[in-house]
Amino acid sequence: MDGIVEFFRTAPIPPEVFAPSLGLIILLPLLGAFVCGVFGKWLGRANVHLVACSAIAGAFVLSLMAFWATSDAAGGRVVSMPNAFGLERDVVRYAISYDYGTWFAAGDFRVNFGLLVDHLSGILLLVITGIGFLIHLYSTSYMEHDDGYWRFFAYLNLFVAAMLTLVMADNLVLLFVGWEGVGMASYLLIGFWYTDSAKAWAGRKAFVTNRIGDFAFLIATFLLILTVNAFSQQADPRDYNSAGSSRARYTQGLLEKGPVTFKGLEKMALALPEGTGGAVSLATPIEAGPLAGYTFGGVMTATMLLFLLGAAGKSAQLPLYVWLPDAMAGPTPVSALIHAATMVTAGVYLFCRMSSLLVLSPTAMATIAVVGALTSLLAALIAFAQDDIKKVLAYSTVSQLGIMFMGVGMGVFWAAALHLLTHACFKACLFLGAGSVMHGNGDETDIKKLGGLYKEMKWTHATFLVSTLAITGIIPLSGFFSKDAIFHGVHHNHLHDLHWVSGFVYAMGLLITACTAFYMSRVYLLTFTGKRSPEAKVAHAHESSWFMTLPLVVLAFLSVVTLVYALPLMPRSGGGMQPVFENFLSPVLRPAEAVARAAQTVALDHSTPAFVDYLIAWLVALSGGATAAFLYLKFFPAQVGKPVPAFARAVRRTAHNKFYVDELYEFILIRPVKFVAFILFRVVDALVIDTVLVRGTAYVTEKVGLGLRRLQTGDAQAYAAIMALAILGGAVYALLQVLS
Amino acid sequence: MVPITYYLLLAAALFCMGMFGVLVRTNALVVFMCVELMLNAVNLTFLAFARMHGDGIGHVSAFFVIAVAAAEAAIGLAIVIAVFRSRGSVNVDDIRTMKH
Amino acid sequence: MTLVSAGLVITARSPINSAMSLVSTFFFLAGIYVLLWAHTVAVMQVLVYAGAIMVLFLFVIMLLNLGDAAHRGRPTVTRILGGASAFGLLAVLAVTLGRTNAIPANLGPQAQATFGTMASVGQSIFTAWLLPFEAVSLLLLVAMVGAVVVAKSRI
Repeated sequence: MDGIVEFFRTAPIPPEVFAPSLGLIILLPLLGAFVCGVFGKWLGRANVHLVACSAIAGAFVLSLMAFWATSDAAGGRVVSMPNAFGLERDVVRYAISYDYGTWFAAGDFRVNFGLLVDHLSGILLLVITGIGFLIHLYSTSYMEHDDGYWRFFAYLNLFVAAMLTLVMADNLVLLFVGWEGVGMASYLLIGFWYTDSAKAWAGRKAFVTNRIGDFAFLIATFLLILTVNAFSQQADPRDYNSAGSSRARYTQGLLEKGPVTFKGLEKMALALPEGTGGAVSLATPIEAGPLAGYTFGGVMTATMLLFLLGAAGKSAQLPLYVWLPDAMAGPTPVSALIHAATMVTAGVYLFCRMSSLLVLSPTAMATIAVVGALTSLLAALIAFAQDDIKKVLAYSTVSQLGIMFMGVGMGVFWAAALHLLTHACFKACLFLGAGSVMHGNGDETDIKKLGGLYKEMKWTHATFLVSTLAITGIIPLSGFFSKDAIFHGVHHNHLHDLHWVSGFVYAMGLLITACTAFYMSRVYLLTFTGKRSPEAKVAHAHESSWFMTLPLVVLAFLSVVTLVYALPLMPRSGGGMQPVFENFLSPVLRPAEAVARAAQTVALDHSTPAFVDYLIAWLVALSGGATAAFLYLKFFPAQVGKPVPAFARAVRRTAHNKFYVDELYEFILIRPVKFVAFILFRVVDALVIDTVLVRGTAYVTEKVGLGLRRLQTGDAQAYAAIMALAILGGAVYALLQVLS
Repeated sequence: MVPITYYLLLAAALFCMGMFGVLVRTNALVVFMCVELMLNAVNLTFLAFARMHGDGIGHVSAFFVIAVAAAEAAIGLAIVIAVFRSRGSVNVDDIRTMKH
Repeated sequence: MTLVSAGLVITARSPINSAMSLVSTFFFLAGIYVLLWAHTVAVMQVLVYAGAIMVLFLFVIMLLNLGDAAHRGRPTVTRILGGASAFGLLAVLAVTLGRTNAIPANLGPQAQATFGTMASVGQSIFTAWLLPFEAVSLLLLVAMVGAVVVAKSRI
């Protein structure tokens, strides 16, 4: 037993040896993307598959090594890295990092190309490369009839590289590179079949919606840089003391690493609460710079709200969620990898990474939680009436992301991260299952025209069932535990002065659970059970090859076993037990808890759910599922041929049309913008720019040119004479200057 | 001791004569010779100032000027030959191609 | 004497006469260089200019078979302007130089022994000015190749 423990606690490659190779994790998929993209056409299908899959597999092995290294405790000495912003003894435990030097610098602002792997990014590395590898494997079979295979794999590898950059970045700017990179890869992949204009438009919609969020992200980053500058000017030794740092060390850190590294921001967050008794607190106004006059707390709230808008763009939350359902236009493996498992969780990751800053602002936290809850409920309701299997899954993704945002907003970061992990497994499994269904049924996506597949597609059916149960939240699958961990935390954490949020969000959560159970059961029942629909494209579905079913099985297995993370098996430092994942992430989230305790902004609760809590959640989920089962197995089959009540039709139509949100946007945003654009076109473009500027410039240039042409004689001597005259003029001028 | 000013005056006169030739003469070859004349004037000032300050850098500069002048003469004469071949004239009045 | 021969350069009708006057100008200049204690440059002047460059000029003149110029060229506006500016510049420089009074530096016996000698010039070229020297050698090579390419009728 001790031998096994010692084996797992000793990384095969010592952390300090491995750290410089962290860049390879990003470089391998990037290289794969390059090879596939540039030489893919000549290499042929099999070679492209080999290159793309082995690049991801290599990245997975390296990620495994990195993850192992972050848990290294050989000989009782926990792996740790020095914190450039803290005192010498203040080391970061369970993390490895490597700084590749200055990426760019301008004045006293600099950004380093630094990579950081701790338990949070480590687990995400495994998710990205692990699920990424399975999806690559799946794609080799799914895209076997497509001519653009090399393009597809190049984009997919590029996406993985960008996503790895996002999670491994140790500063906001590098994270933003990954953030933009995944956005671009997503755009390329949604519009992969660009000859279909609807699909190309979906790509464009995703891109434009994301840009709005990215804009907010950038402004938030600039605000943070200004805040850090103000902080480093105004802070006194007591501030630094409370953060476990000193002025000398902090300034040195800023000089070496730049103002946007997460560790530096964390130290600032630790120094900001009032309880620390320094010169700077949340209520202190900033003295100089563009933000002069605003308090640190106010700026922090504004920053976090802007980050929320940025995260809402990437993670498909209100009001920017509209792109995700349309993003289903891309190939299904893409939907599974990018639009379910990894990229869309970037917002959740961002907030977990910046948790220590987030807890400084209860207002922002409440906003995040409420936005998450509303998005989640809205998406769940829309999912009721969608008939396209991928659309249902897309809305369920939006809904699940909303649940993660609720968790983040209420300060249960570990549960949000755990739900991110379990969701990645079961949602990828669901999407790949849907892809397998489509593949076996002539690309049919309408669940009304499927049905009875349980006999024909055994593996797909089994794995789809497991992951449906997982997302529905049936004991004992992982989805239940992670979702319940979030709801429990939401219920028991209290935001300062905003106590109503807990109750509100918790009630919403229970409603969402019921809705989720309903629509997921509906999809499952309509697709797999019952009789085969007479409208089906092919009479008999065929099971997909093992390239497609193997990832399904692995993912279904994972969505069961990840429940271990939620079980309270680890001893808590203050006595009692705590869930494995909370214990696992505690090195990352400890600063956030310290800040929350000092700032009194959110009361974090660490109790484990009681049996009653489990029971309530379970009953709610079961009731939703049972309603669906009743309706679709007993009620509707019996009602065939009878007229549907008018109100039911109206409700259904509204939900089917996504509550007219797209139309609403069309009305409030796009129409006015178009109108303004029209005015601008007529006045500014046609009159000012076209007539005055463009034609005017051309006119003046032409006339001047005609005049000047006379001077252009082509006589070299004439030119020389002019030069001589100029020299003479210069000499005379110099002489006069000297004389006077 | 001859004051440096005289050397400089001589150089100025040479330079201006060279310039006059460049600007006034029509034969491309003579124009080139006048350019050489101007370069020599420059050399003369270099050497005069080197003498005035008593250091050798002026000599080095003059050396480089001579080297560059040699290169320039080679290229320039090659161009003159090429132009003569194509136009049958070395008169700068006939070479008015530097215009649109 | 220098000025006279230089004047001949710019006034001679025939290019050959111009070239011969230029040679004499160079020789006179070399003498003046010696007066300035620039022996090395003087030698170089004679070798490179009076030797190599002038031979090149004469060679081209012979090759192109240029006799007396058929016409002196019309006195165009630019010519008059250019000539005037040359004289103007001369006047300005003369005024400027007339107001200055520069005297040569007093060199010690040690410096007198080495100033402007081949050794001292070579010393500084091959130490402090090595990179420009190499650049110039490259320039000469390129000029040589370029001259061949330009002058050759068919490549």
